[in-house]
Amino acid sequence: MGIITVLWEKWTEFKRDFIKITVAAMIAPVLYLIVFGLGVKTTASGEPYLNFLIPGIVAMSTMTGSFGAIVQNMSVQRLYEKALDQVMVSPTPLWQFIIGQILGGSLRGMYAAIVILLITLPLRSELIFNAQSFFIMFLNGTVFATIALVLSFLAKSYSDAPRFTSYIIMPMTFLCNTFISTDQMPAGISQVIALLPLSQASGMIRTISKGGDAGVFGYVVLFVYLCVFSALSIMFIYKKKNL
Amino acid sequence: MIEIKGLTKQFGNFKAVDDLNLTIKTGEFFGLLGPNGAGKTTTISMMSTVLLPSKGEIRIDGRLLDRKASEEKRKLSVITQEYSMRQDMTMDEVMEYQGRLYFIPRKVMKERSDKLLEFAGLIDYRKRTVRHLSGGMKRKLMICRALLVEPEILLLDEPTAGMDALSRRQMWNMLRSINSETMTIILTTHYIEEAQALCDRVALLNGGRLQKLDTPAALIDELGKYTVDENTDGKLESKYFHKKDEAIEYLKTAAETASLRSTTLEDVFIECAGQAINKDR
Repeated sequence: MGIITVLWEKWTEFKRDFIKITVAAMIAPVLYLIVFGLGVKTTASGEPYLNFLIPGIVAMSTMTGSFGAIVQNMSVQRLYEKALDQVMVSPTPLWQFIIGQILGGSLRGMYAAIVILLITLPLRSELIFNAQSFFIMFLNGTVFATIALVLSFLAKSYSDAPRFTSYIIMPMTFLCNTFISTDQMPAGISQVIALLPLSQASGMIRTISKGGDAGVFGYVVLFVYLCVFSALSIMFIYKKKNL
Repeated sequence: MIEIKGLTKQFGNFKAVDDLNLTIKTGEFFGLLGPNGAGKTTTISMMSTVLLPSKGEIRIDGRLLDRKASEEKRKLSVITQEYSMRQDMTMDEVMEYQGRLYFIPRKVMKERSDKLLEFAGLIDYRKRTVRHLSGGMKRKLMICRALLVEPEILLLDEPTAGMDALSRRQMWNMLRSINSETMTIILTTHYIEEAQALCDRVALLNGGRLQKLDTPAALIDELGKYTVDENTDGKLESKYFHKKDEAIEYLKTAAETASLRSTTLEDVFIECAGQAINKDR
C-alpha cells in the first residue's frame, strides 16, 4: 500500500513535468549518438559502431534516468523542503517507502531508455530488444535508484546531488562499456570496471541485441548491488539518528 | 498518554535535550516553552521520529515509539516549524498524499479534505501549488493536512511563527475548536501569551533541561500573582508579590514610574530563563 503511495507521488510528478523529463532524458544520449555514432563514423569488431553504441546508450539512459529521478528529488525533500518528515511521522512502513522509491526510480529510468529506443528506431534495424533486455534495463534502474537513495541520505546539502552525479554517473557514463568495451582497457582496470553495474547491464543488453545469450553472471552482479544498496537504504531510514 | 523517560539528544558534544522526563495525559493541551536553543524543536523532532534519541525513550499508551511503530505513528500528526511540504504539489495533492500515507479511504479523504479546506478558507486555492501560496496559507494548509488524519496526538512546533496578529488569533480559535477530550496537543511556541491562553500545563525548558512543569496558573502563583514594574536608570525591573496589599505597599515607596499589574506566564518564563542563564554563568 505504501509502495502505491510513492508510485502515485512519482506519477503526479511525472505528469506535471512530462515535457521537462522527456527533454532531459533525450539531450545527452542524442548528443552522444550524433557525435560518437553518426559524427565519428567507425566500426567496432567489424560492425557499424552504432550497433555497439545504441545498447550502451540505452543502458546508460536507465542509469541516468533512475539515478537523477531519485538523488535530486530525495535530497531536496530531505534537506530543503523537509517533506520527508511527513513520511517519517506517518504510519507508512518505511521499507515500503524505500521500495516505492526504487520502483519509481527504475520506471523513470525505463522511460528514459524507451525514449532512446524510439529515437533510434530508424537506425537499429539489426538490433534485438526483447523482454529480457527490458528486464535488464529495469534491474539496472533499480540498482541506480538504490545508489541514489543511499547518497541522498548521506547528502549534507542539496548541492551535493549534482556533485554525486559528477563523481559517479559521469565517470560510469564514459568508462562502463557504453562507448568502448571494457576489454579494451588496461589489465587490472578493465576487470574492476567490468564489475560495475553499468558495465554489466550494457554488456548484457548488447549481447542480447546481437541475438546472443546474456548469461547469468551479469544478473548476479546487478542483484548483489541491488541487495547491498537496498539494505543500506533501509538501514539508513530506520537507524540514521539525524535524518 | 505519552511518557517521555530520560530523553536525551546529543549532537557531538552539545546536548540539545538533557534527561527530559514528562508525562502528558490524554486530551491535555500541553505547552513546551523555552528560549531559542532550549530543545523544544529537538524534542518534537524526536516525538515525530525524524530524530532518534541518543538516550531515553518515548512511549505512547505504554508502547515504544520508534520508526517501526506504525500503530503508534498512526495516532500522531505534526505541524513543523518549517513548511515541510512538497513545493511543487497543489493543495489537493498535498492532502491526497497525506491521506494515502495514513491509508485513509479515498472517499473519506475527499470529504474531510473539502471540509477542512473550506473551514480554513483555502478551498478556492486548492489547485494552486504550494510554492505560490503565502506564508499564512501554507501554515493553514499544514494544519488542514495534520487534521486530515484525525490524530489522537497533534504535535505543533511553532504553528504561528511568522504570522500577523490577526492570523495568529484565527489560528488560536482553530486550535481551541479542535481540542477535545480525546486529542492531546503538544505545542511549542515563542508567544508565551499563546501558551497561557491555550495550554492546560506547560513545561519550561532551558539548555535542554526541564526547569518547571505545572499549569500556567500554578506557575504564576508560585512566582507571585502581582507584579510591580520599576524603571530605574532605563532598566525595567519587576518585583513579584503573592498578596496585592504587599504589592501596593511596595508601590508607595517605589519610583513614580512604577506600576502594578497581574503577573503573566511571560514573567515566569523570563525569571526562569534568567535564573538558568545566571546559574550557567
